[in-house]
Amino acid sequence: MIDLNVTSPTSLPQSESDTVLVVEGISKKFCRSLKQSMFYGLQDMGAELTGRRQAEFKLRPKEFWALQDISFTLQRGEAIGLVGANGSGKTTLLRMISGLIRPDTGSIWVKGRVAPLIALGAGFSPILTGRENIYANMSILGLSTQEIEARFEQVVAFAEIDEAIDAPVQSYSSGMAARLGFACAIHTDPDVLLIDEVLAVGDARFRSKCERRLAELLQNGTSFVLVSHFFQGILNTCQKGLYLSKGQLVACGSAREIMDRYEEELFSVRQTATRFPFYFPVKSEAKPEAKPVAEQAQPDATNRTGAELVSLHFEDAAGQLVESPVSGEPLSICVRCRGSRAIGALSLFVAIYLPAKDNSLMLHLSSAYDQETFAVTAGDYELRVKLPHLGLLPAAYTLSVYLKDGSLYVLDAYESIRFSVTGKEKLNRGQYYQPHNWQISPAADL
Amino acid sequence: MSKGRNRQFPDPPPEVTYSPDSRMRQPLQLGQDMWRDLLASRELAWRLLVRDLSSQYRQSFLGIFWAFVPPLVAGLGFTVASQSNVLNIGETDIPYPAYVMFSMALWQTFTESLVGPVQAVIAAKPMLARINFPREALILSQLGQVGFNFAIKLLLIVALFLWFQIPVTWTVLLAPVALIHLVALGTAFGLLLAPLGTLYEDVSRGLALLLSAWLVITPVIYPTPKTGLFAMAVRWNPVTPLLVTIRELATTGVLSEPMQFWAASLLALVGLGASWLVYRLAMPFVIERISA
Repeated sequence: MIDLNVTSPTSLPQSESDTVLVVEGISKKFCRSLKQSMFYGLQDMGAELTGRRQAEFKLRPKEFWALQDISFTLQRGEAIGLVGANGSGKTTLLRMISGLIRPDTGSIWVKGRVAPLIALGAGFSPILTGRENIYANMSILGLSTQEIEARFEQVVAFAEIDEAIDAPVQSYSSGMAARLGFACAIHTDPDVLLIDEVLAVGDARFRSKCERRLAELLQNGTSFVLVSHFFQGILNTCQKGLYLSKGQLVACGSAREIMDRYEEELFSVRQTATRFPFYFPVKSEAKPEAKPVAEQAQPDATNRTGAELVSLHFEDAAGQLVESPVSGEPLSICVRCRGSRAIGALSLFVAIYLPAKDNSLMLHLSSAYDQETFAVTAGDYELRVKLPHLGLLPAAYTLSVYLKDGSLYVLDAYESIRFSVTGKEKLNRGQYYQPHNWQISPAADL
Repeated sequence: MSKGRNRQFPDPPPEVTYSPDSRMRQPLQLGQDMWRDLLASRELAWRLLVRDLSSQYRQSFLGIFWAFVPPLVAGLGFTVASQSNVLNIGETDIPYPAYVMFSMALWQTFTESLVGPVQAVIAAKPMLARINFPREALILSQLGQVGFNFAIKLLLIVALFLWFQIPVTWTVLLAPVALIHLVALGTAFGLLLAPLGTLYEDVSRGLALLLSAWLVITPVIYPTPKTGLFAMAVRWNPVTPLLVTIRELATTGVLSEPMQFWAASLLALVGLGASWLVYRLAMPFVIERISA
């Protein structure tokens, strides 16, 4: 286990009354076989009923640790984000905090009402009207009739249900039902709110309304534990992040650092970081290239085309080799190639993709489209594209490069070179880096 | 929402600790928790009851008719059978059609209170797996349904008593007490089976079989036999004294088996407490297994 700089539960940093949640060394075992799992369930029940059950550190056959030795604390009004791939134990952790399942080792201490934003509209009956369902749902979430009545108007207004409130829920659109579920859950005034990837409810306008409401709750002292695959979302709300991997707490720190680390590991950039200058594999005469090319390569699209890629690297403004480009800084992408014949319109295409966002194309540069082609004789050349400011935000990217004659004839190509962009300051809201500066001057004419 | 939280109750928020240690080790704490949750679940139980009943009846054209039908059909069937001497049934204290229908209504109430908890827990699986609400609420709401259904059946019973002009004594006022014991017995069995039934489908299937066999050894369609091996089985059936006593309290007022009644009542009430404990302690483990 890594030594985590989380506040140890035994030495509370702030006044103890401000702590709402203490998770100390909890673990949970799960079983992969259904039959076996149910049998273990019976065993556990038996142990519980006879008073024999206690912390259990050994796995039974076919079991694995869904969570192992997790500790953290949560203060009043603090938000903590859980990140990790599917199956890393995030939801299990939330379920243990809400008291649904009991830990196998360790303990969880919670003060106040815990509301799970895990199951929206739990207990909704499609036959009943929105009004009736609000009462049932909020009651399940732990409110008294009096409390529900006090909040009823707000819930209806928030869900934007209006006159449909007295229609059966089965006549609602899925968005309406989800809004109603969310409105109910969020108006329970919990002390600790557990959010499990439910914010993708309704349209964009409703989502931002939800976010506003969450921010309000946070300011009023509600603590959050939230799970998100959406990097942005988690950054907006959380001060602290926990990175879970296969049930282990691998890192803990500021949300920003955790997200960076998660993102890097998710796309395994760290492990397979490309060394620059990157030398393209030398192609043998007989074999086709190892790396298939997306472009419908012509039959003779190997080195017989007359030119091939040799290497690629990045340079900064001073002409120094750069391993990972810096967002906002000047950058040159330099590609060396070797021509075995004269080429009339040598051109370079560079495409940069972001794997974290569905591998979408972030940047496409083409000298041919810029009407910049070069007539060269046989020999070695370095083509470079100079960017006064690198517009890419800090993240992990892949780069594809195409050497062409004109804008169609592919001479050589190579795809998916991994590299990452770093940032001087921690900025990655928005879509791209915009060069800018700030000024202020007295406005005498106002 | 105004600034600050609009809490209705000013008392400090409750603190809870979850740990792997068996809760049986702190019986005092466990007892307090059970009592607190029972009280806390009243309102939710009411909400669930209202929800379930209204959605049930809104989806039904014939509505409460379905509460009458089974005892009526059974009563008519057995009456025809007995009158045509297909079925040889001994003398009953009250006219046979009334006897069968009344007994059938009571038996139905018993089976509802037994099957209810199992079905309610299975139906609430998705809710149970996601929200930590007092689990007692499901059972209380189920008891409410049993009560509601019995209230409807009571109309039938009253109609029967009037039609056949069955005399009643003041002891009819005590009948509800015995009825509560009968429901307690059913709920005790149901609660015990509910956690298991959520894990294994076999329980629900087996239950249907068990109940039809159980009906055979319960004096519902025949009066209590006095001799023979079959009489032994009927005598040792804990439902027998409870059901017979309710019937006797409501009609003649002369109790034929008071000792057995108290023994069965004790079993019902102690059993109910024990099953509640089992249900409460077992549910987290069930929830863990149903949605891993």
